[in-house]
Amino acid sequence: MRLSVPVAISHGRVYRRLGLGPRSRIDLLRNLVTALVRHERIEAPWARADEMRGYAEKLIEYAKLGDTNERAMRMADFWLTEKDLIHKLFKVLAPRFQPHPGSYTRLLQIPNRDGLDRAKMAVIELKGNPFPPLIRQRRDSEKTLLNQLLKGYREDLKQAAAP
Amino acid sequence: ALVLMFPPLPRFRCLLQRCWQRLEGGLLPGFSGGQSLPWGPALGVQASAFLPQPVHDTNESNEAPSLLDSILWMAAPKKRRTIEVNRCRRRNPNKLIKVKTNIDVCPECGNLKQKHVLCGYCYAKVKAETRLIREEIHKQEGGPFNAPTVETVVLYDGEKPTEKDAGKRIIERARKRPSWFAQS
Repeated sequence: MRLSVPVAISHGRVYRRLGLGPRSRIDLLRNLVTALVRHERIEAPWARADEMRGYAEKLIEYAKLGDTNERAMRMADFWLTEKDLIHKLFKVLAPRFQPHPGSYTRLLQIPNRDGLDRAKMAVIELKGNPFPPLIRQRRDSEKTLLNQLLKGYREDLKQAAAP
Repeated sequence: ALVLMFPPLPRFRCLLQRCWQRLEGGLLPGFSGGQSLPWGPALGVQASAFLPQPVHDTNESNEAPSLLDSILWMAAPKKRRTIEVNRCRRRNPNKLIKVKTNIDVCPECGNLKQKHVLCGYCYAKVKAETRLIREEIHKQEGGPFNAPTVETVVLYDGEKPTEKDAGKRIIERARKRPSWFAQS
């Protein structure tokens, strides 16, 4: 298979090296996951947010199994360092994402950090959060030709169905 | 520092003096180890070499040091780089700053943004409003570790909770609803 250069050089390795070592990397990501579950929208360096996204989505999948499930409770206990968030996870987030089959988070890049390092930053948020939306969907106006034709078609169907 | 055991012959003494000066000046860095004299020229010393000191010294200083100092080559440019060659190197496309073609205009505010990045102005606006909403949340929660077990909904001035916001925690914001935050 044709792979891009960094993908080929990595020889199948997908996890980034963050922090001071493997334990430190997991602790870093765990803090970020806890913050995401608490605040539902956080800003972080893009690499960390990208790594964290996978773990957060897996945690929500575990939560969907229900809080009576022993493995789900152990996972939530490990990943959420603040224990009141375990209640929030099982009682708020699991029902919220029950109809969704996957992709419970949104990762968007923001302008580089203002400090000396100009780091590539991202904002990661859980879908369905109460805050104002980050991207506004631009819908085409009602007056475009295609939309007018579709509107006419819908009305025709309604008239055909009604009598 | 090297200490040589040879009784220094007149020719070698000048060489030694010059090499020692260069060592002190740091010009002969490659030379380390080697107790014997590697700089002895392969030629046999002729009788004319044993002239009295001052004449010998002037001879030594006059002649080009290339033979004696040829032991260690240091790289140096042979010719001056012409301005044409310099221009070719400096203006090579890999040295010029690349032109970015991924800059666009944000349709909301009209500021410039990169295509794959959120608009800075719009994001700052949303961030400020989120901060104020979070302050209200903190005021309502009271202390740390009081995350509620119900969903949250934000209502602005003069808005009533709809039937969709039945069991949710209400956060009041004391301002008019902004146009970019539509009610869900």
